[in-house]
Amino acid sequence: MRSLFLQVIAVTAINLKSISQRRWLSLSTVIAVALVVVVLLAFLAMANGFQRTIAGSGAQDIAIVLRAGSQAEINSTVSRDQVHLIEDGPGIARGADGKPLISPELYLVVDGLKRTTQTKANLPLRGIGDQGATLRQGIRISSGRMFNRGSNEVVVGKGLVREFAGFDLGSTVAFGATRWTVVGIFDAEGSVFESEIWADLPVVQSLFNRNNVFQTIRARLTGPAALADLKKFSDDDPRLKLDVKSEAEYFAEQASQTSDLIQKLGWPLAIAMALGALAGALNTMYSSVAARATEIATLRAIGFGGFPAFVGTLVESLALAALGGILGAAATYFIFDGVSASTLGGNFTQVVFDFKLSPALIGQGLGMALVVGLIGGLFPALRAARMPIVAGLYG
Amino acid sequence: MNDFGLMRKNLFRRKVRAALMIVSILIAFMIFGVLAGFYRAFNSGEDRAASDRLMTVNKINFTQPLPIAYFNRIKAVDGVKQLTYANWFGGYYQDPKNFMVVLAVEPETYFDVYSRDFILTPQERQAFIRERTGAVVGEAMARKWGWKVGDRIPIASNIFTQKNGARSWDFNIVGIIKGASDQIDTNFMLFQYAYFDETRSFGKDTIGWLILQTRSPADNDRVAKTIDAMFANSTAETSTDTEKAFSKAFAAQFGNIALIVFLVVGAAFVTILMIVGNTMALSIRERTREIGVLKTLGFSGGRILRLVLGESMLLALIGGIPGLLIAALITAALRNSLANVAPAFAVTPEIALQGILLMLGLGLITGIIPALNAMRLKIATALGRG
Repeated sequence: MRSLFLQVIAVTAINLKSISQRRWLSLSTVIAVALVVVVLLAFLAMANGFQRTIAGSGAQDIAIVLRAGSQAEINSTVSRDQVHLIEDGPGIARGADGKPLISPELYLVVDGLKRTTQTKANLPLRGIGDQGATLRQGIRISSGRMFNRGSNEVVVGKGLVREFAGFDLGSTVAFGATRWTVVGIFDAEGSVFESEIWADLPVVQSLFNRNNVFQTIRARLTGPAALADLKKFSDDDPRLKLDVKSEAEYFAEQASQTSDLIQKLGWPLAIAMALGALAGALNTMYSSVAARATEIATLRAIGFGGFPAFVGTLVESLALAALGGILGAAATYFIFDGVSASTLGGNFTQVVFDFKLSPALIGQGLGMALVVGLIGGLFPALRAARMPIVAGLYG
Repeated sequence: MNDFGLMRKNLFRRKVRAALMIVSILIAFMIFGVLAGFYRAFNSGEDRAASDRLMTVNKINFTQPLPIAYFNRIKAVDGVKQLTYANWFGGYYQDPKNFMVVLAVEPETYFDVYSRDFILTPQERQAFIRERTGAVVGEAMARKWGWKVGDRIPIASNIFTQKNGARSWDFNIVGIIKGASDQIDTNFMLFQYAYFDETRSFGKDTIGWLILQTRSPADNDRVAKTIDAMFANSTAETSTDTEKAFSKAFAAQFGNIALIVFLVVGAAFVTILMIVGNTMALSIRERTREIGVLKTLGFSGGRILRLVLGESMLLALIGGIPGLLIAALITAALRNSLANVAPAFAVTPEIALQGILLMLGLGLITGIIPALNAMRLKIATALGRG
């Protein structure tokens, strides 16, 4: 047993040392595996970044109320009567002054100019009620100030300022014939709200000719358990044909569609590329076995078993693949991690997000590299182990 | 044995190695075919857009409404040949997951503006104009749901409700719209704006956008400026641009698809270039002695060069062509499920041609260095080497 172990160590060392003799072929395998890992991880980091931005936006104790069947805020309409009914509904938290903590909102799409492409893109302009900002987690004005009630001032999320032109602090923006001043930029812990423009609800309603029109209601609940009470209240009242969801639930639904789509594109592409890299790995390892045929046969002739030859070849292949995997993961981290991008989200407006790698994703990338190395080494390793001594010596 | 036979024999002398290279080339061209097909289909709106068609939308954003009164005012603008309008309905069938493109349109003028794109028989067109609850369905959508003329189907909206509280509208299918060419997307449904406007609970007398045809593309700029100036400083300012510019900006909203496609295809090609290039070099090196023998037999340097290059080109074609064929099968299989994102998803003849040029390029790049080395090889060195 000990001698077998020593044989394995010896042959593996010979294998690894001989890589330099096939440096170009070996290097091409390493790079091929690295490219597969880059493609996979870039897509996964994109899906992950998008998912984190959206899913990180919702709280369990905030209810969002939409017209039944509307699915997204942009499609919803809620009347003033419905807003009043919900205000007095069960489970809604009240402030120190006894007023319900709710924010009826209007969600409009306006044009902005995307910095990278200089093309028009859909941006969300949200008219929010008095409580709008406090009903969202971690909102902090990072420069400037909050808009004044009753004036045509807006505050914009910092993600939006990064990706779209013309929203810098102090500038004037035009939406149709209306003019607005950017008085503040806010931070929202990287959530989807950082892609939005906020203004005072009554001002938006009047300047966009939407008097008494609301689209959604956000409400702070007395606790996550109160959601069920509010839902039942809404379902039982025929005047309220509304969907009541927790904000967390709403955003989870919104996030899943796009990030599923990105993953559905990324995995098949990476698997197809991995098959191509696998062909390269097999080629390299068969060449390795062929190049060392005499050496393997010599070792066999002096008493080495077939098993060490098998392990040596397999380890060589795994080492090349692991190197490729590590290179690929490192390249993805340096090139893509933290890259800001934006795409059209579930509300038909741009969502700004960052590519985000995570240890779990890197694990998936390395796992894929090792699978390529394992399969790519297995068959050549079997050939090495089974090689007839005589053929090898005369080859 | 002729030269081609020699190339073939050389290529397949090590069967496993040849098969592995063919597989990696096949996969790279499969990825190329699928992604190029997707990219073309995704941007087809831009290519398909007629140069004399303009769109007028609300300046705030195209999702904001315009007053229907704009129809008559724009019609009077000099240079406008045909004009129609439409309103987005947000339709779905049975389940909100079955999202579909449904537009409320003005039935008489809509097909005037799109006469070059869509084919509807005169009888069907008359029925669509006459029947208040009539709808015409694109061929692709009708095929997907198995609908035919005479069917009565309920379509719900995720935006609108009827005045009577109902969330869905019933339509009688009175015609099937055919695309004038394969590139035209027909995955949509149209119904009468008048019926929609009378029954919806809010938004009366507003429309989503106007589409107009100018007398000639040379009029585009002037017409667009005239229209936008006409409504400047009103509560609903307009933005008029070519349909092409509009489609292009909309496609760009999803992200830089072109860059993603370019990077992925690039990564796949760098991979095969390295694998195939190195393997070709290796296999020619192994054959040094044979090349020496061929030269001894009187094969010229040029002929040796052609033999080696021919072998690498043959390899690229044997791997690449089936790769494109598989890509064509994949695009055909995914065509229906991607109809909303990338209509008429396919490996078109142009893509196939680009693919073949890429194959020849690949064969040239991977074969040229080994081929030049083989051409310059001296007989004495070749036969002398182990």
